[in-house]
Amino acid sequence: MKTLDIKISDLTNPEYKSILDRAEKRIEEAILLGAVTEQSPNNDIEIPSFPIAVMMAAATADSFIKRRYALAEAKRISNLLGNENKSNITYIANNFNWKIKPVKDPAVSLAYDFTLHYTDFLKNATVFHDKKWKLINRRMLKGEVYLTKSEAARLLEEEVRKHIEGKLDIKVESLPEAVMNRINRLKQLFIEKRGEIQLEELPKEVIVNAYPPCIKELYDTIASGRNVSHIGRFALTSFLINIGMTTKNVVNLFSSVSDFNERLTRYQVEHIAGERGSRTKYIPPRCDTLRTHGVCHSMDDTCRRVRHPLAYYRRKLRAIRRKTPVEKIEKLRA
Amino acid sequence: MITNCNVVLGGIRIPFSLPHFVREKFAEYYHKHSSDIQPPSTIEKREFGFILLKERVMVRHKGFKNVKDLGSFLKMIVPSDVYYSSAYYERPEEKMEEKGWMGADLIFDIDADHIPTPCEKDHDKWVCKKCGAVGRGVTPRKCPGCGEQKFDEKTWPCEVCLGSAKTETMKLVDFLMRDFGFSSEEMEVSFSGHRGYHVCVESGEVQALDQMARKEIVDYVIGIGLEPRFHGLGERSEKKSRILTGPDLNDSGWSGRIAKGTYEFLLSATPEELQQIGLRKKTADTLIKHRETLLESWKGKGPWGIIKDVGVESWKKIAQHGVEKQSAKIDTVVTTDIHRLLRLSNTLHGKTGLRKVMVPITGIEHFDPFKSAVAFKEGTVSVTAADAPQFRLGDETYGPYQEETIELPTAAALLLLCKGRAKMVE
Repeated sequence: MKTLDIKISDLTNPEYKSILDRAEKRIEEAILLGAVTEQSPNNDIEIPSFPIAVMMAAATADSFIKRRYALAEAKRISNLLGNENKSNITYIANNFNWKIKPVKDPAVSLAYDFTLHYTDFLKNATVFHDKKWKLINRRMLKGEVYLTKSEAARLLEEEVRKHIEGKLDIKVESLPEAVMNRINRLKQLFIEKRGEIQLEELPKEVIVNAYPPCIKELYDTIASGRNVSHIGRFALTSFLINIGMTTKNVVNLFSSVSDFNERLTRYQVEHIAGERGSRTKYIPPRCDTLRTHGVCHSMDDTCRRVRHPLAYYRRKLRAIRRKTPVEKIEKLRA
Repeated sequence: MITNCNVVLGGIRIPFSLPHFVREKFAEYYHKHSSDIQPPSTIEKREFGFILLKERVMVRHKGFKNVKDLGSFLKMIVPSDVYYSSAYYERPEEKMEEKGWMGADLIFDIDADHIPTPCEKDHDKWVCKKCGAVGRGVTPRKCPGCGEQKFDEKTWPCEVCLGSAKTETMKLVDFLMRDFGFSSEEMEVSFSGHRGYHVCVESGEVQALDQMARKEIVDYVIGIGLEPRFHGLGERSEKKSRILTGPDLNDSGWSGRIAKGTYEFLLSATPEELQQIGLRKKTADTLIKHRETLLESWKGKGPWGIIKDVGVESWKKIAQHGVEKQSAKIDTVVTTDIHRLLRLSNTLHGKTGLRKVMVPITGIEHFDPFKSAVAFKEGTVSVTAADAPQFRLGDETYGPYQEETIELPTAAALLLLCKGRAKMVE
């Protein structure tokens, strides 16, 4: 905004109307389609519409809209990059201080276009779930990870997404009424859109039958009084708290363990529940983290479809609900 | 996410109280050697923690401006153990939430406890807290005598266990240098003074890595999530026939390691070992029968696909076994914890009276922990050993001892006293 020299008070001027239209369109598309597709042929509109859209998205102060918009813009850039040549990728990557180099060795360049330092790779690849993004499945030599052009573009998309999300993380002070009307329209649109996705509430009681195998195993081990590793205890406690078990019941569960110390256990459980210390309510580690630390032993079919123990629980609940009439669910409750 | 809780959930187990003699000796050490303490870089940004020898409590959230202040503090309080944070903080003395995390070194812990060895049953011991039943080797879940689950566990820093920890350390260093490209100047390898080795990478590039990134590095080193197809092992169609190919011994990174692991496994595998990894008897026998041909094949494109009865699924199982052998067995929790406290070099280990000492990276193989880590080289003292396995310090071998009073050099006596295997003579 600063470099383009636009004043907020100017936005109501008639000559900004088409820019505001385009900015609103960008966010609207992001909300409805998860993408920003249509491109104004006029650069005088297209270029300034982006920072204004960023400002408008930030002004919604709605984290879902912001995240959706950041992702859509990032995707757009990634698509643009996919069609462009290697030097454009290098150019944008350098803007983010990536340590990236084109592959020179002709034998290697048949398979790869770039090498990227593993720190830049990890900064962006750990959110992807396809196994090809695991560092261990990459060709890496002396800290350099080998990438194809489209892989580099995909990683850049993530970098851009985070960058835009960072920009959206600001508080926008008062805007002219005409702009606020546009923003409120977008918020309304989002509420309508979200209405389509019925969010299912978790039941208040916990349903043991829906536990994932790792949690079931930890639960049984603790209930029978045997010891469990720290990370195992953490996973179990945070899982139970998040599905709605009371801290009191969680503490009771641990009471059968041989080295049980009620005062200490209560303190620890309350800490995880966010009732103490930093006041953060902890969520259980993701499936792949549990795998790293040896907590995940026996995966079932549902496990293969989820990445998080809580997602497993939700999915399983849905399946149970489908199969079982309401009265029976009452009985299933632990 | 997890780390904050480690502070409360976790940690450092404080052993029984130590005899006065141990306190005297530790005090003497810190009086003589407080100037030899090797401080971590950027000492003023680190949190320090101590176990007080006398009171047996953990004191943490301490900060020091320089190594001299740290030295004076050590002389004053005489700790049994000294720790510093792998993390850098704006305000190291504040509560965890208010410290202001700035970054952390990349650390690895290789502990004999995580590596199964055949000698555990010779030197590790457990005592049931309820009925006093005693056993050797890995502690059972329930006491066979009374069913209780509370035990006193006694492990031992044994040569064989430490030897296998050293092998894992060398594998780890190979990963860090060849795959990750760290120079030997950026890495510090040390013997912990008890049952393991530490590797600390101090380099600007790793400091900002978050837990997820560190977890990926852990997975890389321990071989988790590896898919052989990304390393060239698989079938591809060519002119209506399917061709099985795999990695080459000269490949870099994990591809080369898979090849190496496969080569080494097939070099000596018995039919039983091949069946243990899930191969059918017929496949195992075929592999053994053609062992010579398979080994010879590495000069060309490798053994993949040269025997028509051994298919891609069997090769994946063999490769997976190779991955396990090639991976380095590190403690996964330590590396992913970005607030971890770790033992400071050149300070004493409260469980042994040995020092944590640096290991030259070029000479890990020849490093002798039982020589280099000895902190006390003068004097003798009489102790009554209850039960101690045979052990070596320097060039001397001691024990085994059963209920006997012996006069030992200070370091040997301290080891037994700190491990709770001996008492002072009244």
